[in-house]
Order: sequence, then C-alpha cells, then structure tokens
Amino acid sequence: MSNPAADGAHGRSVDEPGPALRFTLDGALRGFRATFIYAVLTLPFGLAVGVASAQAGMSALVAILLSAVVLAGAAQFAALDLWANPLPVAAIVVTTFVVNARHLLYGAALHTWAAGITPWQRNLAATLMTDVTWAMTMTAKAKGERDAGFVIGSGLALWLMWVVGTAVGYYLGAAIGDPRRYGLDVVMPAMFATMLIGLWRGPGDIAPWMAAAAAAVLAYDHLPTGWHVIAGALAGGIVAVARFARR
Amino acid sequence: MQPISLAHPEAQALVAVIGMALATYATRAGGFWLMRLVPMTPVLEAFLRGMAGSVVVAIIVPQALKGDWPARAAIAASLIVMIGSRQPVAAMIAGIAVAGLWRALI
Repeated sequence: MSNPAADGAHGRSVDEPGPALRFTLDGALRGFRATFIYAVLTLPFGLAVGVASAQAGMSALVAILLSAVVLAGAAQFAALDLWANPLPVAAIVVTTFVVNARHLLYGAALHTWAAGITPWQRNLAATLMTDVTWAMTMTAKAKGERDAGFVIGSGLALWLMWVVGTAVGYYLGAAIGDPRRYGLDVVMPAMFATMLIGLWRGPGDIAPWMAAAAAAVLAYDHLPTGWHVIAGALAGGIVAVARFARR
Repeated sequence: MQPISLAHPEAQALVAVIGMALATYATRAGGFWLMRLVPMTPVLEAFLRGMAGSVVVAIIVPQALKGDWPARAAIAASLIVMIGSRQPVAAMIAGIAVAGLWRALI
C-alpha cells in the first residue's frame, strides 16, 4: 500500500495506476466542460438563494458576496434562517461549519488521489469543492482523470452560475415564481441519481450503500442540517471496512 | 468621513460573510489537512472507498423519502435512463421532465 507522504511528486497509489497527478489548465478546462451543463441546470437554486437573501433583508452587496465566497447552498439557507438584527455572527459561523462539515470527508476521500500535487495546489483546489464538484471529480477519477485542475474548473462552472443566479434572484425576486412548478426542485436529486450510477463498482457496493441509506434516513430527522450525509458516509465506510476485513 | 463602526449592520453582515467563508474553507481543505496527520492503511483506504458512493446515496435517499411522488419518479427516471444509456445529460433531463410533466398534468 502506498504512503502518500512518501510518494511525493509521483502520487501513485497501488490501486490507481497511471501517470503522476497533474494540476494544469487543461484539467481545469475538462472540469469546466464536464460540469457546465449541470451548472446551468443548478441556476434555479442560485435564484432561490438570491430571492431568500433579499427577503431576509441583506443588501445586494452582502447577498452576492455571500454566494461568491461561500458557495454552499445548504449553509447559506441555514444562515438565512438565523439572519436578524442584531446579527448572531458567532451562531451563523458555527452553523456554517456544522452544515459544511461533510466536506471534511470529501477532502479525505480525495487525499490519496491528490497526494501528488503540492499542499498549496491542494489548498487551491479545495476552495471551490462543493457536493456536485466532488461527485463529478470522483466520477472522473474512476474513469482515469489524473489532473486535479479538474476540481477547480468544475467548481468554477458552478460558482459562475451560483453567483449569476443569486444576483438575478435578488433583483427579480418574487417575479420568478415557484421553481417547483417547472419540476426544477428535482434538479439536485436527479443530478446525484445520475452520478450515483457512475460511482457503482459492483455488487460489493450493495451492503455499504444500504447501510448509508439507513443511516442517512435516521440521521435526517435527528441531526443538524447536513449531518445525514456524514452519518451515511460513515455507515457506508464502516460496512466496507467490515467486508474488507472478512476477505 | 464617518469612521466605520462594527455596530453598523452592514459591517456586521460583512464580518458574518467573512466568517462563513473561512468556516466553509476550513471544511473544504480540512480533509486534506487531517489526512496528512493520519497514515494511510489498507483499512482506511477501504473505508474511504466505501464512503464515495455512500455519500451520494446519503444525499438522495432522504430527498426521495421526504419528497413528493413527482420527485421520487424523477429520481427513478434519472437512475433508469442513466443505467440504460450512460448519458448523464439525458438522464437528468428525463428526471426533470418527469417531475415537470407530472405536476403540470395532475
């Protein structure tokens, strides 16, 4: 088994043969192109966060800046719930961390893959890593993607639509109407359902995925926003380890 | 020129935005930071590999259960079209179309 620290510039893992990981503009362009159509379909969510930001009494500057530097839908909606005068800044920041804590697992899952680039390149790639970009990257990685620029390009496509959507939603507000009417509220579930098929590796996935589903459903009603993803990921990982140990 | 005061609501809002950005960034880069402290073992690798699809399962299953029938039908349509065609865009459009048509017609 390879040790990422010892691997250094080669970044090769025993089970992931191939050329050393790169971090290039070409990779970023691939990520942007692969994600762009999905990003366009996520526009309704940007619109929704823009509308909600205006209703919560944010200035246009704060609303658009928030989407530009945070880029996390669930956390932004959670913060909007807390938005009041005087502003509970500490509660908002802590809530943001809690809602986004699932990202910690995303970095961990990509660490072996990303071990071949410098720490600063990893830190840069992490800036735009959302649920969609992570799932896109995992899918591309399974198909042999060896360029961490992919993460940046993919993230940028979503960032662009998120910021544009927020600005348009902020100014147009209620004129947009209910996105549910057009079936647009199912964009995210449909997107993740599509990506799930790309992450299927064989019947060995059934047990971890069943455990993940059960844990996520249980956690959904009892844990803070976002933590059902962590519960599901941990349950799936533990079952995978149990199966691995039995072999 | 007025001194900028932290008591001003807009200044507070900007502080909150910066705090949210830093907290979010810590979660996005933190996974990489933590993994530098933990030696990679076969067990940990099995755990992380088992986690990948599990995350996506954990995202969609509650959405399917808490959603309405059009949303469930959309997820099913996307899954079926993706399995049959391996065309992600077709699969997504199928899902959105099923939910949109269902709501428009019923």
